[in-house]
Amino acid sequence: MSFNRFAAKRTGHGVLVLFSVVAVLFSIRFIYPGDPAILIAAPDASQEVIQSIREDMGLNEPIYVQFFDYMAGLLRGDLGTSYVTGTSVSNQIVGRLPATIELGVAATVISIALSIPFGVISATNRNNRIDSVVTISSLVGVSTPNFWLGIILVLVFPVALGILPTGGREFGLYEAFSILFTTGDVSAIITWVQHIILPAVTLGTYYTALLTRLTRNGMLEELGQLYIRASRAKGISETLILYKHALRNSLAPLLTILGLQIGRLVGGAVVIEEVFYWPGVGRLFINAIRNLDWPMVQGTLLLTALAIVGANILVDISYAVLNPEVEYQ
Amino acid sequence: MVQKKDNLLQVSDLSTTYFTDEGEVNAVNGVSFEVGREEVFGIVGESGSGKSVTARSLIDIIQSPGEITGGKIWYRNQELAQILAGSYPEAVDGNRINIRKLPPDITKVLRGKYFSMIFQDPKESFNKSYTIGEQIAEAVEVRKRIDENLDSLGDLKYSFWDFLRDSFSIRGGFVSDESYERAIELLELVDMPDPVSRADEYPHQFSGGMLQRGMIAQALACDPDLLIADEPTTALDVTIQSQILEKLAAIRSETGMSIVLITHNLGVIARTCDYIGVMYAGELVEKGGLTDIFERSVHPYTHGLLQSDPSTTATGERLEPMPGQVPDLIDRKMPTGCNFAERCPQAMDICAEDPPVYDVDEAHETKCYLADQKQHGDRKQQRRQ
Amino acid sequence: MISNRLKQNLRSEWNQNHLAKIGAGLVAMFFLFVVFAPILSPHDPTAQNLSDALVPPFQTMEYPLGTDQLGRDMLSRLIYGARISVLVGILSIAAATAIGTTVGMLAGYNSGRLDDVMMRITDVFITIPSLMVAVTIFGLIGPLQVEIPDPFVATGIGGSSMPESFILPGGIIFALSVTSWTTFARVARSEALSVSEENYVRASKSIGSSSPHILLRHVIPNSFSSVLVLATLRIGFAILLESSLAFLGFSGAEFSWGRDIATGRDYLASAWWVASMPGFCIVFLVLALNFLGDWLRDAVDPNLNEGAN
Repeated sequence: MSFNRFAAKRTGHGVLVLFSVVAVLFSIRFIYPGDPAILIAAPDASQEVIQSIREDMGLNEPIYVQFFDYMAGLLRGDLGTSYVTGTSVSNQIVGRLPATIELGVAATVISIALSIPFGVISATNRNNRIDSVVTISSLVGVSTPNFWLGIILVLVFPVALGILPTGGREFGLYEAFSILFTTGDVSAIITWVQHIILPAVTLGTYYTALLTRLTRNGMLEELGQLYIRASRAKGISETLILYKHALRNSLAPLLTILGLQIGRLVGGAVVIEEVFYWPGVGRLFINAIRNLDWPMVQGTLLLTALAIVGANILVDISYAVLNPEVEYQ
Repeated sequence: MVQKKDNLLQVSDLSTTYFTDEGEVNAVNGVSFEVGREEVFGIVGESGSGKSVTARSLIDIIQSPGEITGGKIWYRNQELAQILAGSYPEAVDGNRINIRKLPPDITKVLRGKYFSMIFQDPKESFNKSYTIGEQIAEAVEVRKRIDENLDSLGDLKYSFWDFLRDSFSIRGGFVSDESYERAIELLELVDMPDPVSRADEYPHQFSGGMLQRGMIAQALACDPDLLIADEPTTALDVTIQSQILEKLAAIRSETGMSIVLITHNLGVIARTCDYIGVMYAGELVEKGGLTDIFERSVHPYTHGLLQSDPSTTATGERLEPMPGQVPDLIDRKMPTGCNFAERCPQAMDICAEDPPVYDVDEAHETKCYLADQKQHGDRKQQRRQ
Repeated sequence: MISNRLKQNLRSEWNQNHLAKIGAGLVAMFFLFVVFAPILSPHDPTAQNLSDALVPPFQTMEYPLGTDQLGRDMLSRLIYGARISVLVGILSIAAATAIGTTVGMLAGYNSGRLDDVMMRITDVFITIPSLMVAVTIFGLIGPLQVEIPDPFVATGIGGSSMPESFILPGGIIFALSVTSWTTFARVARSEALSVSEENYVRASKSIGSSSPHILLRHVIPNSFSSVLVLATLRIGFAILLESSLAFLGFSGAEFSWGRDIATGRDYLASAWWVASMPGFCIVFLVLALNFLGDWLRDAVDPNLNEGAN
């Protein structure tokens, strides 16, 4: 089938999955025992007040009506009202979104930038000491709890060495750039970097370890293929063979794994945000669970699912682009 | 054997060993042969005979755990010899160069400009992620850069930015536009229909025969003195085989290049080769001209091959497969004495000692005691050390 | 189930693979911690001794690894903490394996409505990160603490000052098994699917052979080795997840390495050991499990060919 049909079909599938997710999440509200109206109302509220709150929240309607309302709200971008703050869930999430996105992107960029050279070095030094070091480091990397790693980094840099802050964010990237362009002051950017570097490195460690291992194994497999031997017979330099041919062909599977592991990245971000007091959606989620603020929980989970489904679709499409042989199934 | 004075390539006692966990494998053991200008030299043998490894050893694309462990490979090239004489005197002797004594950077230049190789399976020999045009153009570009820097023997540097541009197929990577144009010309040369649009296609969009033509085009990109063809037609249909062989012959006449043709198919040998070497278990057991081998062969293995191949036996004649198997090439397991003795229908007691190479005729020699008419030597047939 | 060839592969891989040996040794050590905690620990891990608070490690024999902010012995807490990590890991993965493989096999074999439903459900689970699923489930069902009496203390073998029972966080175990079951379900499903398409199975079906019989005789033995590899690797993942949850405050157990790291955080500047040491334990345990899992995978997977020439 054609590429466009493939893309459409893939997106359609994603939407379907998203719908299932919405249905599952919607039911959370009903699983949990307890009356949300009571939670919202003041502690000494009378029965009538509680009843009117229930009316306002539509809790007396039959379930399917509530579901429709919820779906309609979703399409408008309305994720409900927080039990805790009484304000819009969507607004709160949107407010925190840039922070989490910065963290996620920074961690991904760092891990790709580190893992490809490490993977290539490891593959070309196979059975060497270098290879062993890199391989073992990768194994350690995937075995280390990321929150603990973050704490250790805080121990080393801010506590022992006195550089880099222990947490927080201060400026978003967008604001930092605005300040740069309006006043020419670089310090905002520098502050942003100082604040994001420890969390991003911590979050990226798992990914780096994983990708290094994958790059190494992928490269080794490619280097054993016949076309590499044929390329050598052409008199091309080893560097060219390594990068233009072997690495190029190793990238596609890497991309797929990257996409599949986005879930781990987001999950990791939730914890890292706690460790570094990073004001992102993850902390919003954790606080919501602690406070049993179900609309917020639903909202954040939904957003996460949306992001992951979107990422998976992107990955599938990019894979088809990178790999000319693929028949669009 | 009479040595030709102006042969292009002279291989002398070449040995290649693979150092594996199970032991040392003598894939090529003391192989010697010559290839003259505009000649086609065929190397024939069963699989496992070491013919492919020999081919790869000529241009040194042997990878660990393999290593070329002995011998000399003389390449006659006046121009190159002059350039190299200054920096690598140990490798140069007059107008010829011992490839084995050159460092890897220089052998790379040889592969880029003077020698080319085509392989058995064209589908596996191209990178599936780049177009045919791009890959042929790569070979052209290599040659171009070498020519531009011939005095310093061109450094084929490749930077990270080149990699980024190449990955996203942006023009301006390693391959120049000129080289790409030339690649299309080369496709025309090998009779590829509609070369301009086919150059933009990927390997999986070609049939085996067409892809092999593409590989030949790529091999011609550097205008080589020597083309090494490792089983070029084995993976193809019989009808396509003929076309490819004809094309190779035509190219040989037009450009004057020499060819080393590796195959197990005697029919192919009969059609294309001037001289032939028969390999068994890592050794050249018989060597000679076309008629020497086909009509006057001495070595029992050669006989066996001829009798078991349908293309060389007359219709109606029985095919006689050879009993037994090729011996294990792992050093400690190899037979002492003649490698073929245990399968040989004419084995004698003396075969327990490794036979020397005997001259049978002017261009014909064999590594077999049967060539020694009388045990105690006839002056005409010199025992060669 | 364990074919001779598999045994051979295991043995030959074992001989070559030093990491697997280290892994096995470490896992054995942690197992000893779990079982013999009351005997191995020098002190009661819950005993507070404020006058001995924040003693640095490697200084006295009484508190070899120091104490935390409440004067509790670090070594004892680490040893007892192994119980939670190991038991939570094993129990949650055991449950996930049992449920996952059963559902997966039935779905793959029968290929009908059940299969479609199962695929939908697994799709949903894949789109939400495990951590968030686990946290949400914990939020819904609560800690579900289970009190387990300590066999040694009960029979009086261990020191009488050791705790009589320990608390197993049932909520966490349940939450973790929910996050992992889909992996096993998918593996079992594909195994069952490929078996069900074999000709001899079709033949069996047509003459009326019962499904459980076929499943037992063919599907289970075939998938056994890959499930084993998967399980070993997933236990490590479960342990990491448990410690993350405990760190965030979602646990229910009294001693958990993750939780100790969280409480130690407040004293990072003055007492680095409280937060660091439990982490090392986690790393060693999970690393050991990864070594073992790699060993198993190398032995089981015939396609291991790292670019040989």
